[in-house]
Amino acid sequence: MSVDLTKPTGVETADDPAPRPRRRRRRFTPGQVLLGVVLAVLGVVMLAPLVWLLVQSFTEEGDAFGIPPGWLPKPFTTQNFQDIDGLIPFWRMALNSLIVAVISTGGSLLVSVLAAYGFSRLPFRGRDRIFALMLAALMVPVQMTIIPVFILMRNLHMIDTLQALWLPALINVFSIFFFRQYFNTIPKELDEAARIDGASHLWILFRLIVPLSGPALAAMAILTFEASWNNYFGPLIFLSSHDKMTLPIGLVTLQAGQGGSSVVVFAAITAVVVPVLVVFLIFQRAFVASIASAGIRG
Amino acid sequence: MTTAPGEQVTTTGAGHRGWVGVAFVSPAALLFVVFILGPFVAAIILSFYSWDMLTPSKFNGIGNFTQMFSDATLYKALANTFIFSIASVITHLIGGFLLALGVNRLASRALSYFVRTSLFFPFVISWAAVALLWKYVLDPTFGIVTYYLGEIGITSPDWFTDPHWALPAIIAIDWWHTIGFTFIIMLAGLQTVPGELIEAARSDGCNGWQVLWNVTIPLMSPTIFFAGVITFIGAFQIFDPVQIITPNGGPDNATLTIVMYLYQKGFQSFQVGYASAVSLLVFAIMAAVTALQFWASKKWVHSV
Repeated sequence: MSVDLTKPTGVETADDPAPRPRRRRRRFTPGQVLLGVVLAVLGVVMLAPLVWLLVQSFTEEGDAFGIPPGWLPKPFTTQNFQDIDGLIPFWRMALNSLIVAVISTGGSLLVSVLAAYGFSRLPFRGRDRIFALMLAALMVPVQMTIIPVFILMRNLHMIDTLQALWLPALINVFSIFFFRQYFNTIPKELDEAARIDGASHLWILFRLIVPLSGPALAAMAILTFEASWNNYFGPLIFLSSHDKMTLPIGLVTLQAGQGGSSVVVFAAITAVVVPVLVVFLIFQRAFVASIASAGIRG
Repeated sequence: MTTAPGEQVTTTGAGHRGWVGVAFVSPAALLFVVFILGPFVAAIILSFYSWDMLTPSKFNGIGNFTQMFSDATLYKALANTFIFSIASVITHLIGGFLLALGVNRLASRALSYFVRTSLFFPFVISWAAVALLWKYVLDPTFGIVTYYLGEIGITSPDWFTDPHWALPAIIAIDWWHTIGFTFIIMLAGLQTVPGELIEAARSDGCNGWQVLWNVTIPLMSPTIFFAGVITFIGAFQIFDPVQIITPNGGPDNATLTIVMYLYQKGFQSFQVGYASAVSLLVFAIMAAVTALQFWASKKWVHSV
């Protein structure tokens, strides 16, 4: 499986079978042991807040957040998780997050793939100027367009609806650029041969180009989904009622709100974080490759 | 969109059957105009008006821009944002580079996997969860940082209410959250440095430091530069953690960032025209800094 997309990355992952010629075996030299200890301690320190989070959310309210800090859930309970739903509609929020993320990801991939095929394969007058204009717009921060978009949504009566979140997410200029670069590396002779056989452009795109673009599609799908799932700014501006909220804004509402004790807040954070981390562990390789190839920071 | 078999096939040559290309691009172009280009132009126009979203808007000329010059809170927000961004770039580049160097040299595969995963875990989590978690981690009474610093004899400040420590605390949280990204970019860059060059320098008698300074770092300068630009752009737009942890800008506006100020003006006090003018300033600064960084890269970065 290749992770090289637009630039050579060669990010090493755990089960990387290719031997690295540069890495000589330097086991058990004093330097190697010291390096190992330092990095292991750092790894533990990085994980400590997450472990603490997990432990407190399974501890009974009276014993959580003790001093010195408890690193085992004693006495163990799942009551904190059961208490979330009385304070915020957790499952409704999770569903909202999922709806927005799925539509944003699927929709923006479709729009981007169509446009990228046009920009890569189908010449028309003014095409390159339109593409350059779109690229220039990558410099425009979302905070600059958010006020007019808010006014637009208000006029369309879409405030406090999920459409207000996924509709603007359908246009993703970076993703168009990314796919165009990738399509440009696929030999044009392939689609010209298909054209001679009478294939339509839609056929060429979806039966020829898209199947050859697996790594690029996976990378953009992962990044778009993650950006939508974690988005806080958009929901903060567009959503106000509990049953419309997505998980990030729901968490903050729970913490700021009435009666939510700290253990319940922690249980809710755990319920949001752990599935994401599990999914990450399963798709770690593809995930890391997508970050390295696209170079997008959250 | 189908071409009948036998019809002459030309996929090159502008103008000919150009409508097919237009059809493919048009959904994206339409959305682009509605949600990016149009709002961009609208923000520029709005910056010359004063409007509260309720009563009719009034033309204000350059009033919003002159108001910015005498807005002490805006200066404070800009200063905070620059301090945060510069600190973020420095700590991420140094940390990410050293970590990549260290992990790349680890002989143990299992340990390497553990370190890479633990560095990257926080980056996957949403800012909302990270910010809420760290509010507790740095809590002055039961937070784990407070406790363990106390164990080694350091009395923690009250991080989020002490004006001197609120911004450094946010810098630290941001480092924890995004160092995995910088690390991965650096690791990828490090692995493109040809091993033969390092071997050659070694056999010429260079020691470890000399190899690092004269071979590895120059060859990695495009990666370091790229990571620096991306980190700066991300840091300059910092909003989620500061808004969640210190919703009012912290003690004495110590953590008020420029995007937070924009949010306050636009969506809390509904000074839409003034907020638009501030957003134009954010755009101008980001464009200028990006241009400056690319100009500097021509001077210092090893040829790509």
